[in-house]
Amino acid sequence: KPETAAVLKRTVEALMERGAVVRNLENLGERSLPYKISKHKERHRRGGYFLIDLEGPPSIVSTMMDHLGRDIDIIRRGFIKHPVSKTEECSGIIPVNYEDKLIANK
Amino acid sequence: MAVRAAAVGRPWRRLMPAALWERPRRLQHEWQPGHPDQPIQMENPYKEPPKKCVLCGINVDYKNVQLLSQFVSPHTGCIYGRHITGLCNKKQKEISKAIKRAHVFGLMPVMFKNPSFLTDPKICNVKYPE
Repeated sequence: KPETAAVLKRTVEALMERGAVVRNLENLGERSLPYKISKHKERHRRGGYFLIDLEGPPSIVSTMMDHLGRDIDIIRRGFIKHPVSKTEECSGIIPVNYEDKLIANK
Repeated sequence: MAVRAAAVGRPWRRLMPAALWERPRRLQHEWQPGHPDQPIQMENPYKEPPKKCVLCGINVDYKNVQLLSQFVSPHTGCIYGRHITGLCNKKQKEISKAIKRAHVFGLMPVMFKNPSFLTDPKICNVKYPE
């Protein structure tokens, strides 16, 4: 457990160094991985999942991926954009007029 | 003969094919001015609201593996197509993107369905279970 804390501390410090603002750090729990992942000459079966909310310049991404790749304790890394959820405008299935499409293509 | 035509009085009209005769064009579905009994034009009041797919209004996230696993085959782990899931365009695309993301991030198994999610309610109508 202190190892995971040390890993998180390292990553957050590295992010702050590059100039990213960390908003939130979530723990998604520790569970057995869906498939065995071999990383850094070791076959892993269990892992802890963490989600870091951050804001920063996009140039960080490549440097951070390098940095995290060199860390032995990190099995898998990834950066995602913040999902902009727009599900309130879902108007349902609009029936598509296939005849009109066919004629228009002609 | 010519004398009789003159006696009738009406101007003599040259012979014309029936197709070129001018006739009043009155189509039933077109609006005719001046008739108070004509039907009022309005949108269909008995129109049903557009059909919604299962996920209409639900936010799809790559983190809730249970929801994503419902659209995956239990034996092979492959994502079901649109004709099986019955989702609209947008949601199908979102689901498939989320599933692939979950695969990459090590949140969802690839070759099979997570055994703890096998007893979930069935959403997809699979005719021929693989």
